[in-house]
Amino acid sequence: MRRVFSGLAFPIAVVALWELLGQAGIASEDSFSRPSLVALALARTLADGSLLKQTGETFLSAIVGLVIAAALAIAAGTVLGLFRALERIATLTIEALRPVPSVALIPVALLVFGFGPGMSVSVVAFACFWPMLIVTISAVRGIDPRLIEVGRMLGFPLAVRIRKFALPAALPGIMVGFRIAAGIAVVVAVTVEIAANPRGLGYGMIVAQQSLNTDIMWATLLWLGLVGWLANWGLLAIEHRWLGWFWSARGE
Amino acid sequence: MDAVVTSAAPAAAPVLVTRGLSLRFGSGSSARSVLTDLSFEVPEREFVCIVGPSGCGKTTLLRLLAGLLAPTGGETLFQGRRVAAPQPDIAIVFQDYGRALLPWRTVASNIALAFEARGIPKAEHASRAAPLLTKMGLSEHAGKFPSELSGGMQQRVQIARCLALEPRVLLMDEPFGALDAITRQTLQDEFSRLCETEHRTVLFVTHDLEEAIYLGDRVIALAANPGRVVEIIDVDLPRPRKQLETREHPRFLGYRHRLFQHLGHN
Repeated sequence: MRRVFSGLAFPIAVVALWELLGQAGIASEDSFSRPSLVALALARTLADGSLLKQTGETFLSAIVGLVIAAALAIAAGTVLGLFRALERIATLTIEALRPVPSVALIPVALLVFGFGPGMSVSVVAFACFWPMLIVTISAVRGIDPRLIEVGRMLGFPLAVRIRKFALPAALPGIMVGFRIAAGIAVVVAVTVEIAANPRGLGYGMIVAQQSLNTDIMWATLLWLGLVGWLANWGLLAIEHRWLGWFWSARGE
Repeated sequence: MDAVVTSAAPAAAPVLVTRGLSLRFGSGSSARSVLTDLSFEVPEREFVCIVGPSGCGKTTLLRLLAGLLAPTGGETLFQGRRVAAPQPDIAIVFQDYGRALLPWRTVASNIALAFEARGIPKAEHASRAAPLLTKMGLSEHAGKFPSELSGGMQQRVQIARCLALEPRVLLMDEPFGALDAITRQTLQDEFSRLCETEHRTVLFVTHDLEEAIYLGDRVIALAANPGRVVEIIDVDLPRPRKQLETREHPRFLGYRHRLFQHLGHN
């Protein structure tokens, strides 16, 4: 309990100071608003459903993009991790495409998909694909060759060896990549909305900012942080549940 | 699939035969010969031990016999057919049990892998595993994960998994080599009894020549650089073998004497 209190002390102090500076007129209300007004705005936008609708749009883009990227990256990464020769062929392409900033794809995505979810999803998927691919390749390559040999000895065909041996063995590594990609997914989804796509939390913030509703802008930002934190926490919980064997195998 | 053979047959046909089995790495002047011209037979229901100094290619030999590795010369015949790929009829117990078990599967589930490999319906897994678990002394551990077991117990799980395959021949790569002396002797005796009563065909690799004589009906001695057969001894010692009596038997000491020179004590 004491640790929770000491952890909360700093944010509470900042919020109090922010409120005081706002009340005293030192921090301009046009750009900083005030915690009390932000809280009211948060309650208001939550109550009228606009914030939840935007949250749904943003996270749907992020999740669909993430899932598409994960499926493709795990499939490609497993094949490339198992077969060195293929990986050598693919390395140049991967290294050439990976550094392309995903945000730079917004104009292309806009032309291909137009405004709407498809545009966000495609850019998110591109951004999430690369880290997941790299992590999956190295996780699959790091599997103990003995396990694969046991699979061969038992006479399983390749597809079954991948499903029963390679994927579970690589899962802890793949999950690390998934969590990194999940963070990227939200960032990119919001970025696309701020830059071009008229939907979701990112667009909501831009509209609030341009119409000088700074309290709503701050409320949306606060909400985004809160939901992001919850999503990460949920992902960790799932990971612990699924990968219990991994932690127990390490004596943790 | 034949079940475990329990009736006595008159002539023991060789299950596994190697003819001029050789393996070289590299080519030209940098080529290194690992195994050269190995020819021997593993008759049905015999416990054959292969003993040799480290580096004589014992593990490589097992991998060749199991079809996990292709020879550069000669061939392995399993029931008269050339071994080209791994098959569940030739099971192999690896020395490093910790790496050969799936850490995300329980003991029962690790053993069930063998049933999955044999295409046995899931409904039968539990009833088929039960006698194996009892036989290997694992009944109380069926629901545990490998990481919760001692090394000896983990090796029992691996052996149980191989037995669950109902293989025609069991290849074993120094299975007790990483265990402490007491556990090793317990497992030697239990496994030896089990093979006796079930008439298992076993090819057992070890660097411990006393273990080879203690367990084997026949001991094949290999020399190193390159690995080759230098002697084959038929072991004529009463069964069941006993840790003290067998190891003090005059013939045991005689075999030990004969094999000692091959193990490269230099």
